Amino acid sequence: MDQAQQWVEQARQGDRHAFRRLVEAQARPLFTLCARITRDAALAEDAVQEALFNAWKHLRDFDGRASFTTWLHRIAVNAALEQLRRRNQREVATTDLGDDEDDGDFLDTRVDAGPGPEHHARSGEIAQRVRAQLERMTVLERSAFVLRHHEGRSMEEISSALSLNISACKQAVFRAVRKLRGALEPLR
Amino acid sequence: MNRIDDNELILYHYRDGLDASRIGEIAAALAQSPALSERHIILCSTLELADAEAAPQPDEGFERRLWHMLDARIDAASPARTPWWLPLREWLAAWSLPRPALSGALLVVFALGVAFYAGRHSAPAPDVLAQERANAMATRVLDAYVAEHLRATEGVLLTAANSDSAPLQAGNRELAANLLDSNRLYASAAARAGNTRLADFLRQLEPILIELANRRGDDDIQSIEGLREYLSKTDLLFQVRATQARIDAAGKRPVSI
Repeated sequence: MDQAQQWVEQARQGDRHAFRRLVEAQARPLFTLCARITRDAALAEDAVQEALFNAWKHLRDFDGRASFTTWLHRIAVNAALEQLRRRNQREVATTDLGDDEDDGDFLDTRVDAGPGPEHHARSGEIAQRVRAQLERMTVLERSAFVLRHHEGRSMEEISSALSLNISACKQAVFRAVRKLRGALEPLR
Repeated sequence: MNRIDDNELILYHYRDGLDASRIGEIAAALAQSPALSERHIILCSTLELADAEAAPQPDEGFERRLWHMLDARIDAASPARTPWWLPLREWLAAWSLPRPALSGALLVVFALGVAFYAGRHSAPAPDVLAQERANAMATRVLDAYVAEHLRATEGVLLTAANSDSAPLQAGNRELAANLLDSNRLYASAAARAGNTRLADFLRQLEPILIELANRRGDDDIQSIEGLREYLSKTDLLFQVRATQARIDAAGKRPVSI
């Protein structure tokens, strides 16, 4: 039994110290994940707290099939979505993965792409455009994109975390990339 | 070879959601087609944009606030001590028996069990004396749990009246719901034990526990003020403490039988 498993066992018996050891290294990465999803530091902090509290409460349900980190990660994603849902029910309620479907290519090569993004990334202008595009995404598009691009999660894991089928996850990522592409448009 | 669209290029970029043969086909096409290769480069540039934004980091007080709030919520959600009958009650609940009635019965069974055990092991004292001693012991066991229950109830009332932290109130609602269950159990057990004063007092606590267990998460200051006024008008907190102190004092007295 490795150290993490031992802490899980001790925490299950109500050992709060073991629980803290188990999760404290995760707190900051979870904040980054939740902040990327919510785009709001205060909501992200609430989401991390909610996630850790839920993990403590439901530790008995952790069956060990996935790693503890993966399990906690999934709880945090849901906590972040829940924070957004509470703040703005309408935003999530109007998210429809079926609409906005566009099969056309958007990586158009007919126009010169201009200077590379490394150059633009240094400018405040492009950072602002990127922020705007990330905020234009629906919650599910952004969550799916964050999980795929920043967190390196597979479509299967994303599908499980967001309770969507894999095809819907792919569509969400495609639309997110399409919107991000919009940040480059005026610079070409 | 099928046409390779931008969505497939995205999946190819992440090496996710495509089978190995399609990945091979796309790799070969990228090596042969400058136009496709250029589209792939634009895709990579687009995705790099997302990395241009710095990863959000919490401020310095994040961990302190996090653990402070988390500890408070765990405290609020955890009973001070797990009642001895809880695992047994959960096990029996799985048999779909009515919980309150069953829990009350469990206490009585326990009390009778203690009485029976003490009666059997008190020889050569007369039976009546052994029975009375056993009854007193059962009463003390019940008192100890009721005192613990009242301490937890006092904490819930204080938190409800004094905290405006949403997470703390959420934990408090959950705790109030748990206490409501055990409050009915103890009131019933006290009535069966002939302690009508305690039974009446516990029944008097029930409406406020129901109210606290069903409060909305977005209670405004007026609602909190209303609760404070109610507590002050009814002297409920004082009565909880007084009952608790009375039970504690009774528990310290030697059994006079």
